Amino acid sequence: MAEREPKVVGYCCEKHGIECVNLAARSGKQYDASIRLVRVPCTGRVDGMHILRALEDGADAVFVLGCLEKNCYYDTGSIEGRKRVDYVKSMLSQVGIEPERVEMFNASSSMAWKFPEIVSTMTDVAKRLGPIEPRGDRQ
Amino acid sequence: MKRRIQVVICRVCSGAANVLDVEKLLRVANEAPYVGSAIAVNYACNAKTIAQIVEEAKSREVDRMLIIPCSKSDVSPALFQAYKKKAKINEFLMETVDLVGEIVLPHRDNPARAQAKAESKLLAAITRMAMLEPLQKSSEKMRTKNVVIIGAGVAGVEAARQATQAGMHTILIEKSDKEVKAPGVVMPKTRLVSAKGHAGNFILTIEAGEKRETLECAAVVIASGGDWSDAKGPLVQACGAKPLYRLVQEIGEGIISREGVVIVDTPDPKADITSAQDFAWEDAIQSAIEIRKKSPETEVYLLFQEMRALGLDELSYRDAADLGVRFVRYDKKRPPHADPKDKSKIVVIDSVQGQTLSIPYGGVYYASIAPNPDNVSISEALRIPMTESGGLRRGSMQKGPIATPRPGVLVCGSAQFPRSENISRLEGRAAGALAAQLVSTGIVEFGGSVAEVTPDKCSACLTCVRTCPFEAPFIGNAGKAEIQLQLCQGCGMCVGICPSKAIELHNYTDDQLSTETASYIGGDF
Ligand code: SF4
Ligand code: SF4
Repeated sequence: MAEREPKVVGYCCEKHGIECVNLAARSGKQYDASIRLVRVPCTGRVDGMHILRALEDGADAVFVLGCLEKNCYYDTGSIEGRKRVDYVKSMLSQVGIEPERVEMFNASSSMAWKFPEIVSTMTDVAKRLGPIEPRGDRQ
Repeated sequence: MKRRIQVVICRVCSGAANVLDVEKLLRVANEAPYVGSAIAVNYACNAKTIAQIVEEAKSREVDRMLIIPCSKSDVSPALFQAYKKKAKINEFLMETVDLVGEIVLPHRDNPARAQAKAESKLLAAITRMAMLEPLQKSSEKMRTKNVVIIGAGVAGVEAARQATQAGMHTILIEKSDKEVKAPGVVMPKTRLVSAKGHAGNFILTIEAGEKRETLECAAVVIASGGDWSDAKGPLVQACGAKPLYRLVQEIGEGIISREGVVIVDTPDPKADITSAQDFAWEDAIQSAIEIRKKSPETEVYLLFQEMRALGLDELSYRDAADLGVRFVRYDKKRPPHADPKDKSKIVVIDSVQGQTLSIPYGGVYYASIAPNPDNVSISEALRIPMTESGGLRRGSMQKGPIATPRPGVLVCGSAQFPRSENISRLEGRAAGALAAQLVSTGIVEFGGSVAEVTPDKCSACLTCVRTCPFEAPFIGNAGKAEIQLQLCQGCGMCVGICPSKAIELHNYTDDQLSTETASYIGGDF
């Protein structure tokens, strides 16, 4: 069997987030194909529950990508998004799951280099940590 | 509801042919649940193809469409129009999938994984599509075509001109009683007290003299400008430094000192300055040039810590230097000051050359413009956030450089931060044109993919009321949260934060997002 590919899910806002993905593509950037993007209107829409459920369903890592905090389309949306991500991270540490599996990123539509960076950070985490083991098997 | 999906892949632009196996994508789509038709076309933006797609939609009796074009912004609006009008499909049941930007371009070196990703993307999109609900937008008429402009400075007057030209009715409110030459109604000695409503139908309360009145309008332009009163600072006390606009006036009137002119960034050089942007540098350089042209015997010095002229105005550095304008950079630890022995000279240490200069002057002027203290009350009335330095803050750059975070409210000129006259005028023109564009439709559209509260679940905790940046949620008569649809922008922030899970965002529900995610994770990676 081929080597297992990492599974990374990203919640990406439809404003600067997706524009940043597009610009990276149109600037010829190549990156790992392990990322699956779910679009949300704003990262403020993301709920801790979505992230936790994605991990439960089998994602190795989850990230949220929104606008720069001072340039958010919905003004305070990406600040809200970060709060949710931070909350999930603290919950994960409490139950003994590596908090690095979940991350918040901000970008503007003109930052072509940013998305490939995010992808490599998150796929590295996913490769390093592998799948989350079922609870019973944890020490 | 039928929930039958039509999948349309545009072969040409999706660039798929080089990297992806389009026939296989079609097979995958056809085998997926809810798919009623999956076709690949050449040029989905071509009129003939559009007709073909619509025909197919009708004969297969689909009620929703997933289109895979070159990019979302490049899909011909004609396709959506035809789909809506001829195939009678709800506009919220048409979505695009960006295979090019997300897969074809970034993974062209790895076709095998690109194909796996494309298939899983397609299946996730189909899963999402099947869950979408048809939504209706509502609309109301704008009650007026009024555009209210706050402040009759350079930017405000220009905004009035532009909006009037476009057929709007402008009302310019100005706090002073200065003479104003502008089209439309001008109300002197008037200030804004409070504002209600939303873009298209605002109700303002204004105070004209002693009298309070209400004023309806469709859009608001803030052009409150900077603080033009004289600043304080050691250079004002010691050298009688004046604001730059006075120099501009004096040049206009032909009063130019022969003893030399010194333009300094701020009257208080030791103080912290936020950034180089905070000065009207273009005006400073232009004034220096004018002086040298009109009165070549007058020496002109520009003393600065950082200087930034925008865009083509950068060329004026050279023009100024060619005319003999002296640029002197100083360090705020060794600020320019009046010569203690001879008050008619300014002493400054050139931080580049290390030289100490003693400059005789006939007049000293400063290029900084303090923020307008009225910004506080304007920001409270219209609910626009302020910047750290006391200006009114614009919204995300994606909304344009003169949009505030609040729809229907624009900000131009030095109300944001100091602007040179020319840029104020340009921004005023833009604000007038944009306000006119907004108002000219005469209709406010709202609803669609917006938030909705389930009253039974709401515990009236006010979290949504506090969180929404647009102030759409409120506690209604029934003691439960309600959303004022005209204000809701559909961001979903309130949905994610409601502790009782009482709010849903149409077509971005928890269930829809989690099912889409699960579809991805269950697929190949
Ligand atoms: S956050 Fe939820 S529970 Fe609280 S008032 Fe708003 S809708 Fe009601
Ligand atoms: S969806 Fe966004 S704009 Fe609408 S009520 Fe909720 S927070 Fe406010």
